Amino acid sequence: MLTREQSLALVLRRLAALGRELGKPTLEKADEQTRLFGEAAALDSIGLVTLIADLEEDIRVATGKTVTLADEKAMSRLTSPFRRVDLLAEYVVEVTRN
Amino acid sequence: MSLLTRISSYSAKPALVGAWGVVTYAELTELIAKARRELVQLKLDRPTVFGLVGEHGPASTAWLLALAEAGHFVAPLSGNAAEHPAKLALINAQWIVVAEAKDWKLLPRVDEPSAHPLFARLAAQGAAGLVLFSSGTSGAPKAMVQDFSKLLASYESRHESDLVMLALLGFDHIGGLNTLFNSLAAGSLLVIPASRSPADVASTVARHRVAVLPASPTFLNLLLAAGVTAELASLRVITYGTEPMPESLLHRLKVAFPRVRFIQTFGTSETGITRTSSPEAGSTFLRFDDPDLEWKVIDDELWLRSRTQIAGYLNASNERFTADGWFRTGDKVEQGPNGSLRILGRMGEMINVGGEKLMPAEVESVVLGVPGVHDCRVHGEAHPLTGQTVAVDVVSFTTDQEALRSAIRIACRERLARHKIPTRVTFVPSVSGERMKKTR
Repeated sequence: MLTREQSLALVLRRLAALGRELGKPTLEKADEQTRLFGEAAALDSIGLVTLIADLEEDIRVATGKTVTLADEKAMSRLTSPFRRVDLLAEYVVEVTRN
Repeated sequence: MSLLTRISSYSAKPALVGAWGVVTYAELTELIAKARRELVQLKLDRPTVFGLVGEHGPASTAWLLALAEAGHFVAPLSGNAAEHPAKLALINAQWIVVAEAKDWKLLPRVDEPSAHPLFARLAAQGAAGLVLFSSGTSGAPKAMVQDFSKLLASYESRHESDLVMLALLGFDHIGGLNTLFNSLAAGSLLVIPASRSPADVASTVARHRVAVLPASPTFLNLLLAAGVTAELASLRVITYGTEPMPESLLHRLKVAFPRVRFIQTFGTSETGITRTSSPEAGSTFLRFDDPDLEWKVIDDELWLRSRTQIAGYLNASNERFTADGWFRTGDKVEQGPNGSLRILGRMGEMINVGGEKLMPAEVESVVLGVPGVHDCRVHGEAHPLTGQTVAVDVVSFTTDQEALRSAIRIACRERLARHKIPTRVTFVPSVSGERMKKTR
Protein backbone atom coordinates (compact mmCIF):
# COMPACT_ATOMS: atom_id res chain seq x y z
CA MET A 1 0.00 0.00 0.00
CA LEU A 2 1.15 3.52 -0.79
CA THR A 3 0.61 6.75 1.13
CA ARG A 4 -0.81 9.79 -0.63
CA GLU A 5 2.66 11.40 -0.68
CA GLN A 6 4.32 8.33 -2.19
CA SER A 7 1.58 7.98 -4.72
CA LEU A 8 1.77 11.64 -5.70
CA ALA A 9 5.53 11.36 -6.10
CA LEU A 10 5.09 8.36 -8.38
CA VAL A 11 2.58 10.18 -10.58
CA LEU A 12 4.68 13.34 -10.84
CA ARG A 13 7.87 11.44 -11.54
CA ARG A 14 6.14 9.42 -14.26
CA LEU A 15 4.57 12.53 -15.76
CA ALA A 16 7.96 14.22 -15.92
CA ALA A 17 9.48 11.19 -17.67
CA LEU A 18 6.63 11.17 -20.16
CA GLY A 19 7.14 14.89 -20.70
CA ARG A 20 10.79 14.27 -21.62
CA GLU A 21 9.71 11.50 -24.04
CA LEU A 22 7.04 13.64 -25.64
CA GLY A 23 9.14 16.79 -25.73
CA LYS A 24 6.62 18.59 -23.47
CA PRO A 25 8.72 20.33 -20.78
CA THR A 26 5.58 21.69 -19.06
CA LEU A 27 4.84 18.16 -17.80
CA GLU A 28 8.09 18.24 -15.84
CA LYS A 29 6.68 21.18 -13.86
CA ALA A 30 3.33 19.50 -13.16
CA ASP A 31 1.75 19.75 -9.70
CA GLU A 32 -1.32 18.44 -7.88
CA GLN A 33 -3.65 20.70 -9.83
CA THR A 34 -2.34 19.85 -13.31
CA ARG A 35 -5.15 18.70 -15.55
CA LEU A 36 -4.35 15.38 -17.18
CA PHE A 37 -7.18 14.70 -19.55
CA GLY A 38 -10.17 16.53 -20.90
CA GLU A 39 -10.41 20.17 -21.86
CA ALA A 40 -7.16 22.18 -21.72
CA ALA A 41 -5.36 19.11 -20.48
CA ALA A 42 -1.77 18.05 -20.84
CA LEU A 43 -2.29 14.66 -22.49
CA ASP A 44 -4.16 13.19 -25.42
CA SER A 45 -5.80 9.78 -25.10
CA ILE A 46 -2.71 7.85 -26.20
CA GLY A 47 -0.60 9.87 -23.76
CA LEU A 48 -2.98 9.10 -20.92
CA VAL A 49 -3.05 5.38 -21.77
CA THR A 50 0.76 5.44 -21.79
CA LEU A 51 0.90 7.21 -18.42
CA ILE A 52 -1.47 4.64 -16.93
CA ALA A 53 0.47 1.66 -18.32
CA ASP A 54 3.75 3.02 -16.95
CA LEU A 55 2.17 3.82 -13.58
CA GLU A 56 0.85 0.27 -13.31
CA GLU A 57 4.42 -0.94 -13.84
CA ASP A 58 5.72 1.55 -11.22
CA ILE A 59 3.14 0.28 -8.71
CA ARG A 60 4.14 -3.32 -9.41
CA VAL A 61 7.79 -2.44 -8.74
CA ALA A 62 6.96 -0.42 -5.61
CA THR A 63 4.43 -2.75 -3.98
CA GLY A 64 4.70 -6.10 -5.79
CA LYS A 65 1.01 -5.81 -6.66
CA THR A 66 -0.34 -6.11 -10.19
CA VAL A 67 -3.11 -3.56 -10.51
CA THR A 68 -5.32 -2.30 -13.30
CA LEU A 69 -5.93 1.42 -13.08
CA ALA A 70 -8.06 1.84 -16.17
CA ASP A 71 -11.09 -0.40 -16.01
CA GLU A 72 -14.82 0.03 -16.38
CA LYS A 73 -15.13 0.80 -12.69
CA ALA A 74 -12.73 3.72 -12.95
CA MET A 75 -14.31 4.94 -16.16
CA SER A 76 -17.84 4.94 -14.76
CA ARG A 77 -17.03 7.13 -11.73
CA LEU A 78 -18.77 10.44 -11.51
CA THR A 79 -15.44 12.18 -11.11
CA SER A 80 -12.87 10.59 -13.37
CA PRO A 81 -9.64 9.76 -11.50
CA PHE A 82 -7.80 10.62 -14.69
CA ARG A 83 -8.87 14.22 -14.77
CA ARG A 84 -6.24 15.73 -12.47
CA VAL A 85 -2.93 14.73 -10.88
CA ASP A 86 -4.29 14.81 -7.28
CA LEU A 87 -7.31 12.69 -8.22
CA LEU A 88 -5.09 10.13 -9.90
CA ALA A 89 -2.72 9.99 -6.92
CA GLU A 90 -5.67 9.42 -4.55
CA TYR A 91 -7.03 6.74 -6.85
CA VAL A 92 -3.64 4.96 -6.80
CA VAL A 93 -3.79 4.97 -2.96
CA GLU A 94 -7.27 3.45 -3.11
CA VAL A 95 -6.39 0.77 -5.64
CA THR A 96 -3.21 -0.32 -3.84
CA ARG A 97 -5.03 -0.50 -0.48
CA ASN A 98 -7.13 -3.49 -1.61
CA MET B 1 11.20 -38.02 -65.03
CA SER B 2 9.49 -39.06 -61.79
CA LEU B 3 11.01 -38.10 -58.47
CA LEU B 4 11.95 -41.74 -57.75
CA THR B 5 13.69 -42.10 -61.13
CA ARG B 6 15.57 -38.89 -60.48
CA ILE B 7 16.65 -40.09 -57.05
CA SER B 8 18.07 -43.34 -58.41
CA SER B 9 19.81 -41.49 -61.27
CA TYR B 10 21.84 -39.39 -58.82
CA SER B 11 23.35 -42.67 -57.50
CA ALA B 12 26.66 -41.91 -55.77
CA LYS B 13 25.90 -38.29 -54.85
CA PRO B 14 25.24 -37.63 -51.16
CA ALA B 15 21.53 -37.14 -50.47
CA LEU B 16 21.11 -36.65 -46.73
CA VAL B 17 23.47 -35.99 -43.85
CA GLY B 18 22.65 -35.86 -40.17
CA ALA B 19 23.61 -37.37 -36.83
CA TRP B 20 23.47 -40.82 -38.53
CA GLY B 21 26.11 -39.88 -41.12
CA VAL B 22 25.90 -39.48 -44.89
CA VAL B 23 23.41 -41.37 -47.04
CA THR B 24 23.89 -41.36 -50.82
CA TYR B 25 21.11 -41.36 -53.39
CA ALA B 26 21.97 -45.01 -54.16
CA GLU B 27 21.57 -45.93 -50.49
CA LEU B 28 18.32 -44.00 -50.31
CA THR B 29 17.10 -45.90 -53.39
CA GLU B 30 17.98 -49.16 -51.59
CA LEU B 31 16.01 -48.07 -48.50
CA ILE B 32 13.00 -47.19 -50.67
CA ALA B 33 13.19 -50.64 -52.30
CA LYS B 34 13.34 -52.28 -48.86
CA ALA B 35 10.31 -50.31 -47.67
CA ARG B 36 8.53 -51.24 -50.92
CA ARG B 37 9.18 -54.97 -50.26
CA GLU B 38 7.88 -54.77 -46.69
CA LEU B 39 4.83 -52.96 -47.95
CA VAL B 40 4.12 -55.77 -50.41
CA GLN B 41 4.40 -58.30 -47.57
CA LEU B 42 1.58 -56.52 -45.73
CA LYS B 43 -0.72 -57.70 -48.56
CA LEU B 44 -2.90 -54.61 -48.36
CA ASP B 45 -5.80 -54.91 -50.76
CA ARG B 46 -6.75 -51.25 -50.77
CA PRO B 47 -5.22 -47.79 -50.19
CA THR B 48 -4.47 -47.65 -46.47
CA VAL B 49 -3.80 -44.89 -43.95
CA PHE B 50 -0.30 -44.85 -42.39
CA GLY B 51 1.09 -42.75 -39.58
CA LEU B 52 4.79 -42.09 -40.22
CA VAL B 53 6.46 -41.15 -36.94
CA GLY B 54 9.91 -39.63 -37.18
CA GLU B 55 12.07 -36.63 -37.92
CA HIS B 56 13.87 -35.85 -41.19
CA GLY B 57 16.10 -38.81 -42.07
CA PRO B 58 16.77 -41.64 -44.51
CA ALA B 59 14.16 -44.09 -43.17
CA SER B 60 11.38 -41.54 -42.88
CA THR B 61 12.11 -40.22 -46.38
CA ALA B 62 12.19 -43.75 -47.85
CA TRP B 63 8.84 -44.64 -46.33
CA LEU B 64 7.22 -41.38 -47.38
CA LEU B 65 8.18 -42.02 -51.00
CA ALA B 66 7.39 -45.76 -50.95
CA LEU B 67 3.91 -45.08 -49.56
CA ALA B 68 3.29 -42.38 -52.16
CA GLU B 69 4.40 -44.69 -54.96
CA ALA B 70 2.02 -47.43 -53.78
CA GLY B 71 -0.93 -45.03 -53.59
CA HIS B 72 -1.41 -45.07 -49.82
CA PHE B 73 -2.26 -42.23 -47.43
CA VAL B 74 0.46 -41.02 -45.09
CA ALA B 75 0.56 -38.61 -42.17
CA PRO B 76 4.11 -37.61 -41.13
CA LEU B 77 4.21 -37.07 -37.36
CA SER B 78 7.20 -35.37 -35.75
CA GLY B 79 7.90 -33.51 -32.55
CA ASN B 80 5.72 -33.85 -29.49
CA ALA B 81 4.83 -37.56 -29.17
CA ALA B 82 2.01 -36.77 -26.72
CA GLU B 83 -0.02 -35.43 -29.64
CA HIS B 84 0.46 -38.49 -31.84
CA PRO B 85 -2.25 -40.84 -30.46
CA ALA B 86 -5.02 -38.29 -31.01
CA LYS B 87 -3.81 -37.56 -34.52
CA LEU B 88 -3.52 -41.26 -35.40
CA ALA B 89 -7.07 -41.80 -34.16
CA LEU B 90 -8.34 -38.80 -36.09
CA ILE B 91 -7.11 -40.25 -39.40
CA ASN B 92 -8.04 -43.89 -38.57
CA ALA B 93 -4.45 -45.01 -39.19
CA GLN B 94 -4.18 -48.77 -39.79
CA TRP B 95 -0.39 -48.92 -39.62
CA ILE B 96 2.32 -46.94 -37.88
CA VAL B 97 5.86 -46.72 -39.20
CA VAL B 98 8.28 -45.54 -36.54
CA ALA B 99 11.34 -44.33 -38.44
CA GLU B 100 14.66 -43.45 -36.86
CA ALA B 101 17.87 -42.83 -38.79
CA LYS B 102 18.15 -45.78 -41.25
CA ASP B 103 15.84 -48.14 -39.33
CA TRP B 104 12.15 -48.52 -38.74
CA LYS B 105 9.50 -50.52 -36.97
CA LEU B 106 6.13 -51.37 -38.46
CA LEU B 107 3.30 -51.47 -35.95
CA PRO B 108 -0.27 -52.49 -36.73
CA ARG B 109 -2.93 -50.24 -35.26
CA VAL B 110 -6.38 -51.62 -34.56
CA ASP B 111 -8.87 -49.24 -36.02
CA GLU B 112 -11.69 -49.26 -38.53
CA PRO B 113 -10.48 -48.34 -42.03
CA SER B 114 -11.31 -44.72 -42.72
CA ALA B 115 -14.50 -44.27 -44.69
CA HIS B 116 -13.85 -40.57 -45.21
CA PRO B 117 -15.03 -39.41 -48.66
CA LEU B 118 -11.78 -37.45 -49.17
CA PHE B 119 -9.75 -40.67 -48.98
CA ALA B 120 -12.30 -42.47 -51.15
CA ARG B 121 -12.07 -39.76 -53.79
CA LEU B 122 -8.27 -39.90 -53.95
CA ALA B 123 -8.34 -43.71 -54.03
CA ALA B 124 -10.78 -43.63 -56.95
CA GLN B 125 -8.34 -41.38 -58.83
CA GLY B 126 -5.47 -43.74 -58.05
CA ALA B 127 -3.75 -40.92 -56.16
CA ALA B 128 -1.75 -41.18 -52.96
CA GLY B 129 -2.67 -38.89 -50.06
CA LEU B 130 -0.58 -36.71 -47.77
CA VAL B 131 -2.10 -35.71 -44.44
CA LEU B 132 -0.67 -32.70 -42.63
CA PHE B 133 -1.91 -31.15 -39.42
CA SER B 134 -2.31 -27.51 -38.59
CA SER B 135 -3.34 -25.96 -35.34
CA GLY B 136 -6.86 -24.70 -35.78
CA THR B 137 -7.94 -21.45 -34.21
CA SER B 138 -9.43 -23.35 -31.28
CA GLY B 139 -6.13 -25.19 -30.73
CA ALA B 140 -7.42 -28.60 -31.85
CA PRO B 141 -5.42 -29.91 -34.82
CA LYS B 142 -7.01 -29.81 -38.26
CA ALA B 143 -6.11 -32.67 -40.62
CA MET B 144 -5.56 -31.52 -44.19
CA VAL B 145 -5.52 -34.05 -47.00
CA GLN B 146 -3.89 -33.46 -50.35
CA ASP B 147 -3.19 -35.35 -53.52
CA PHE B 148 0.35 -36.55 -52.77
CA SER B 149 0.94 -37.85 -56.31
CA LYS B 150 0.19 -34.44 -57.79
CA LEU B 151 2.34 -32.69 -55.16
CA LEU B 152 5.36 -34.89 -55.92
CA ALA B 153 4.85 -34.43 -59.67
CA SER B 154 5.23 -30.68 -59.17
CA TYR B 155 8.94 -31.19 -58.32
CA GLU B 156 9.75 -33.15 -61.49
CA SER B 157 10.93 -30.17 -63.51
CA ARG B 158 13.55 -28.97 -60.97
CA HIS B 159 17.03 -28.38 -62.37
CA GLU B 160 19.91 -30.38 -60.96
CA SER B 161 21.92 -28.39 -58.45
CA ASP B 162 24.85 -28.97 -56.15
CA LEU B 163 23.94 -26.25 -53.67
CA VAL B 164 23.78 -27.79 -50.18
CA MET B 165 20.50 -27.07 -48.38
CA LEU B 166 19.59 -27.18 -44.70
CA ALA B 167 16.28 -28.52 -43.38
CA LEU B 168 15.11 -26.21 -40.64
CA LEU B 169 11.39 -26.89 -40.66
CA GLY B 170 10.19 -30.30 -39.54
CA PHE B 171 9.27 -33.48 -41.40
CA ASP B 172 5.60 -32.88 -40.53
CA HIS B 173 5.51 -29.33 -41.92
CA ILE B 174 4.72 -28.38 -45.53
CA GLY B 175 7.77 -26.09 -45.50
CA GLY B 176 10.06 -28.90 -44.28
CA LEU B 177 8.70 -31.33 -46.86
CA ASN B 178 9.03 -28.70 -49.59
CA THR B 179 12.73 -28.33 -48.72
CA LEU B 180 13.15 -32.13 -48.75
CA PHE B 181 11.46 -32.66 -52.13
CA ASN B 182 13.26 -29.69 -53.69
CA SER B 183 16.61 -31.01 -52.53
CA LEU B 184 15.92 -34.60 -53.68
CA ALA B 185 14.60 -33.47 -57.07
CA ALA B 186 17.71 -31.34 -57.60
CA GLY B 187 20.11 -34.07 -56.50
CA SER B 188 21.45 -31.79 -53.79
CA LEU B 189 22.66 -32.67 -50.32
CA LEU B 190 20.15 -31.94 -47.57
CA VAL B 191 21.68 -31.31 -44.15
CA ILE B 192 19.68 -32.11 -41.01
CA PRO B 193 20.86 -30.12 -37.97
CA ALA B 194 21.00 -31.77 -34.54
CA SER B 195 18.58 -29.17 -33.22
CA ARG B 196 17.06 -25.88 -34.36
CA SER B 197 19.06 -23.76 -31.94
CA PRO B 198 20.98 -20.93 -33.64
CA ALA B 199 24.30 -22.35 -32.36
CA ASP B 200 23.64 -25.86 -33.72
CA VAL B 201 22.39 -24.53 -37.02
CA ALA B 202 25.42 -22.25 -37.40
CA SER B 203 27.95 -25.00 -36.67
CA THR B 204 26.10 -27.36 -39.04
CA VAL B 205 26.18 -24.74 -41.79
CA ALA B 206 29.92 -24.30 -41.29
CA ARG B 207 30.68 -28.04 -41.19
CA HIS B 208 28.78 -28.92 -44.38
CA ARG B 209 29.30 -25.67 -46.30
CA VAL B 210 25.54 -25.13 -46.53
CA ALA B 211 24.61 -22.69 -49.30
CA VAL B 212 20.83 -22.49 -49.02
CA LEU B 213 19.04 -21.79 -45.76
CA PRO B 214 15.26 -21.68 -45.70
CA ALA B 215 14.22 -19.92 -42.49
CA SER B 216 11.62 -17.73 -40.87
CA PRO B 217 12.32 -14.06 -40.10
CA THR B 218 12.07 -14.95 -36.39
CA PHE B 219 14.85 -17.51 -36.72
CA LEU B 220 17.02 -15.16 -38.79
CA ASN B 221 16.64 -12.55 -36.07
CA LEU B 222 17.77 -15.14 -33.51
CA LEU B 223 20.84 -15.92 -35.66
CA LEU B 224 21.79 -12.25 -35.65
CA ALA B 225 21.20 -11.97 -31.91
CA ALA B 226 23.33 -15.08 -31.27
CA GLY B 227 26.29 -13.44 -33.03
CA VAL B 228 27.11 -16.48 -35.17
CA THR B 229 27.29 -14.79 -38.58
CA ALA B 230 31.02 -15.64 -38.99
CA GLU B 231 30.14 -19.33 -39.10
CA LEU B 232 27.62 -18.75 -41.88
CA ALA B 233 30.10 -17.60 -44.55
CA SER B 234 29.16 -20.43 -46.95
CA LEU B 235 25.56 -19.23 -47.32
CA ARG B 236 24.59 -17.96 -50.78
CA VAL B 237 20.80 -17.94 -50.58
CA ILE B 238 18.45 -17.40 -47.67
CA THR B 239 14.80 -18.03 -48.37
CA TYR B 240 12.36 -16.69 -45.86
CA GLY B 241 8.65 -17.05 -45.37
CA THR B 242 5.86 -18.18 -43.01
CA GLU B 243 5.52 -14.67 -41.50
CA PRO B 244 5.99 -11.05 -42.53
CA MET B 245 9.59 -9.82 -42.82
CA PRO B 246 10.13 -6.57 -40.92
CA GLU B 247 11.97 -4.14 -43.21
CA SER B 248 14.43 -3.22 -40.45
CA LEU B 249 15.35 -6.90 -40.00
CA LEU B 250 15.85 -7.42 -43.74
CA HIS B 251 18.16 -4.41 -43.75
CA ARG B 252 20.22 -5.75 -40.83
CA LEU B 253 20.42 -9.15 -42.53
CA LYS B 254 21.73 -7.63 -45.74
CA VAL B 255 24.42 -5.82 -43.79
CA ALA B 256 25.37 -9.00 -41.91
CA PHE B 257 25.31 -11.19 -45.06
CA PRO B 258 26.41 -8.96 -47.96
CA ARG B 259 27.01 -11.93 -50.31
CA VAL B 260 23.67 -13.65 -49.70
CA ARG B 261 20.67 -13.39 -51.98
CA PHE B 262 17.39 -13.12 -50.06
CA ILE B 263 14.36 -14.77 -51.63
CA GLN B 264 10.92 -14.53 -50.18
CA THR B 265 8.78 -17.65 -50.36
CA PHE B 266 5.12 -17.74 -49.66
CA GLY B 267 3.10 -20.67 -48.62
CA THR B 268 0.15 -21.95 -46.73
CA SER B 269 -0.43 -25.53 -45.67
CA GLU B 270 -3.58 -25.40 -47.77
CA THR B 271 -2.08 -24.22 -51.06
CA GLY B 272 1.56 -25.29 -50.83
CA ILE B 273 4.78 -23.31 -50.98
CA THR B 274 5.33 -20.93 -53.86
CA ARG B 275 8.46 -19.18 -55.02
CA THR B 276 8.16 -15.49 -55.43
CA SER B 277 10.37 -12.73 -56.74
CA SER B 278 11.01 -9.30 -55.33
CA PRO B 279 10.30 -6.34 -57.62
CA GLU B 280 13.63 -4.89 -56.45
CA ALA B 281 16.47 -5.98 -54.19
CA GLY B 282 15.81 -5.31 -50.53
CA SER B 283 12.08 -4.93 -50.97
CA THR B 284 9.61 -6.69 -48.71
CA PHE B 285 7.14 -6.68 -51.61
CA LEU B 286 6.80 -9.92 -53.54
CA ARG B 287 5.39 -11.11 -56.83
CA PHE B 288 4.04 -14.59 -57.53
CA ASP B 289 5.79 -16.16 -60.54
CA ASP B 290 4.15 -19.56 -60.40
CA PRO B 291 2.08 -20.63 -63.41
CA ASP B 292 0.30 -23.13 -61.16
CA LEU B 293 -0.91 -20.45 -58.77
CA GLU B 294 -3.61 -17.84 -59.24
CA TRP B 295 -4.13 -14.99 -56.80
CA LYS B 296 -6.44 -12.07 -56.17
CA VAL B 297 -7.08 -9.57 -53.40
CA ILE B 298 -10.59 -9.24 -52.00
CA ASP B 299 -11.16 -6.60 -49.30
CA ASP B 300 -7.40 -6.49 -48.54
CA GLU B 301 -7.33 -10.27 -48.04
CA LEU B 302 -5.19 -12.51 -50.24
CA TRP B 303 -7.05 -15.30 -52.04
CA LEU B 304 -5.15 -18.15 -53.70
CA ARG B 305 -5.98 -21.02 -56.00
CA SER B 306 -3.26 -23.53 -56.80
CA ARG B 307 -2.85 -26.84 -58.57
CA THR B 308 -1.34 -28.41 -55.47
CA GLN B 309 -3.84 -27.22 -52.92
CA ILE B 310 -5.38 -29.60 -50.43
CA ALA B 311 -8.38 -31.72 -51.30
CA GLY B 312 -9.98 -30.73 -48.00
CA TYR B 313 -9.99 -31.20 -44.22
CA LEU B 314 -10.84 -34.48 -42.53
CA ASN B 315 -12.29 -32.83 -39.46
CA ALA B 316 -13.17 -29.25 -40.34
CA SER B 317 -15.47 -27.52 -42.74
CA ASN B 318 -14.10 -26.20 -46.01
CA GLU B 319 -15.55 -22.78 -45.30
CA ARG B 320 -12.32 -21.02 -46.21
CA PHE B 321 -12.55 -22.48 -49.72
CA THR B 322 -15.07 -21.02 -52.15
CA ALA B 323 -17.16 -23.28 -54.36
CA ASP B 324 -14.89 -22.50 -57.32
CA GLY B 325 -11.74 -23.48 -55.42
CA TRP B 326 -10.37 -20.20 -54.08
CA PHE B 327 -8.70 -20.33 -50.65
CA ARG B 328 -9.13 -17.31 -48.42
CA THR B 329 -5.69 -17.11 -46.78
CA GLY B 330 -6.64 -14.77 -43.92
CA ASP B 331 -3.53 -12.73 -44.79
CA LYS B 332 -3.94 -9.01 -45.01
CA VAL B 333 -1.93 -7.63 -47.92
CA GLU B 334 -1.05 -4.30 -49.45
CA GLN B 335 -0.87 -4.04 -53.25
CA GLY B 336 2.12 -2.32 -54.84
CA PRO B 337 2.88 -1.46 -58.46
CA ASN B 338 2.95 -4.07 -61.26
CA GLY B 339 1.17 -6.84 -59.43
CA SER B 340 3.41 -6.81 -56.36
CA LEU B 341 2.13 -7.50 -52.87
CA ARG B 342 3.27 -7.05 -49.31
CA ILE B 343 2.10 -9.32 -46.52
CA LEU B 344 1.00 -7.17 -43.60
CA GLY B 345 -0.08 -9.90 -41.20
CA ARG B 346 -3.16 -11.87 -40.28
CA MET B 347 -6.58 -10.30 -40.77
CA GLY B 348 -7.46 -11.12 -37.15
CA GLU B 349 -4.34 -9.47 -35.76
CA MET B 350 -5.33 -6.00 -36.77
CA ILE B 351 -5.32 -3.66 -33.78
CA ASN B 352 -7.95 -0.96 -33.58
CA VAL B 353 -7.02 2.02 -31.39
CA GLY B 354 -9.98 4.34 -31.07
CA GLY B 355 -11.06 3.56 -34.64
CA GLU B 356 -7.57 3.87 -36.14
CA LYS B 357 -6.10 0.63 -37.34
CA LEU B 358 -2.65 -0.88 -37.51
CA MET B 359 -0.89 -4.22 -37.97
CA PRO B 360 1.60 -5.53 -35.37
CA ALA B 361 4.31 -6.06 -38.02
CA GLU B 362 4.81 -2.37 -38.76
CA VAL B 363 5.40 -1.58 -35.09
CA GLU B 364 7.61 -4.66 -34.59
CA SER B 365 9.78 -3.54 -37.48
CA VAL B 366 10.53 -0.23 -35.72
CA VAL B 367 10.97 -1.73 -32.23
CA LEU B 368 13.39 -4.37 -33.58
CA GLY B 369 15.56 -1.58 -34.95
CA VAL B 370 16.09 0.00 -31.51
CA PRO B 371 19.58 -0.82 -30.14
CA GLY B 372 19.30 -3.22 -27.20
CA VAL B 373 16.13 -4.95 -28.42
CA HIS B 374 16.72 -8.62 -29.25
CA ASP B 375 13.21 -9.60 -30.16
CA CYS B 376 9.66 -8.39 -29.67
CA ARG B 377 6.00 -9.18 -30.20
CA VAL B 378 3.29 -6.58 -30.59
CA HIS B 379 -0.32 -7.30 -29.73
CA GLY B 380 -3.50 -5.44 -29.02
CA GLU B 381 -4.84 -5.16 -25.46
CA ALA B 382 -8.38 -4.23 -24.55
CA HIS B 383 -8.51 -0.78 -23.00
CA PRO B 384 -11.52 1.12 -21.66
CA LEU B 385 -10.20 4.45 -22.94
CA THR B 386 -9.34 3.62 -26.55
CA GLY B 387 -11.02 0.25 -27.18
CA GLN B 388 -7.66 -1.36 -27.79
CA THR B 389 -4.14 -0.23 -27.12
CA VAL B 390 -0.78 -1.28 -28.53
CA ALA B 391 1.32 -3.44 -26.20
CA VAL B 392 4.78 -4.79 -26.91
CA ASP B 393 6.68 -7.59 -25.19
CA VAL B 394 10.40 -6.96 -25.46
CA VAL B 395 13.33 -9.32 -25.02
CA SER B 396 16.45 -7.44 -23.97
CA PHE B 397 19.47 -7.89 -21.74
CA THR B 398 19.69 -4.21 -20.87
CA THR B 399 20.21 -3.21 -17.25
CA ASP B 400 18.31 0.02 -17.76
CA GLN B 401 14.81 -0.99 -18.79
CA GLU B 402 13.46 2.47 -18.05
CA ALA B 403 15.80 4.02 -20.60
CA LEU B 404 15.09 1.37 -23.22
CA ARG B 405 11.33 1.78 -22.76
CA SER B 406 11.80 5.46 -23.46
CA ALA B 407 14.05 4.81 -26.45
CA ILE B 408 11.45 2.45 -27.94
CA ARG B 409 8.69 5.01 -27.65
CA ILE B 410 10.87 7.80 -29.03
CA ALA B 411 11.87 5.64 -32.03
CA CYS B 412 8.20 4.80 -32.63
CA ARG B 413 7.19 8.43 -32.35
CA GLU B 414 9.74 9.39 -34.99
CA ARG B 415 8.52 6.81 -37.50
CA LEU B 416 4.92 5.93 -36.74
CA ALA B 417 1.55 7.60 -36.44
CA ARG B 418 0.51 8.52 -32.90
CA HIS B 419 -1.98 5.67 -32.42
CA LYS B 420 0.67 3.06 -33.32
CA ILE B 421 3.06 3.94 -30.49
CA PRO B 422 3.09 1.18 -27.86
CA THR B 423 1.57 2.41 -24.61
CA ARG B 424 2.61 -0.69 -22.68
CA VAL B 425 6.20 -1.92 -22.92
CA THR B 426 6.80 -5.12 -20.97
CA PHE B 427 10.17 -6.81 -20.59
CA VAL B 428 9.99 -10.58 -20.89
CA PRO B 429 12.64 -13.35 -20.92
CA SER B 430 11.44 -14.69 -24.27
CA VAL B 431 8.63 -14.31 -26.76
CA SER B 432 6.78 -17.39 -27.87
CA GLY B 433 5.96 -18.55 -31.35
CA GLU B 434 6.73 -16.93 -34.63
CA ARG B 435 6.29 -13.27 -35.05
CA MET B 436 2.78 -13.05 -36.48
CA LYS B 437 2.67 -16.74 -37.05
CA LYS B 438 1.03 -17.45 -40.33
CA THR B 439 1.45 -21.12 -41.06
CA ARG B 440 -1.62 -22.88 -39.91
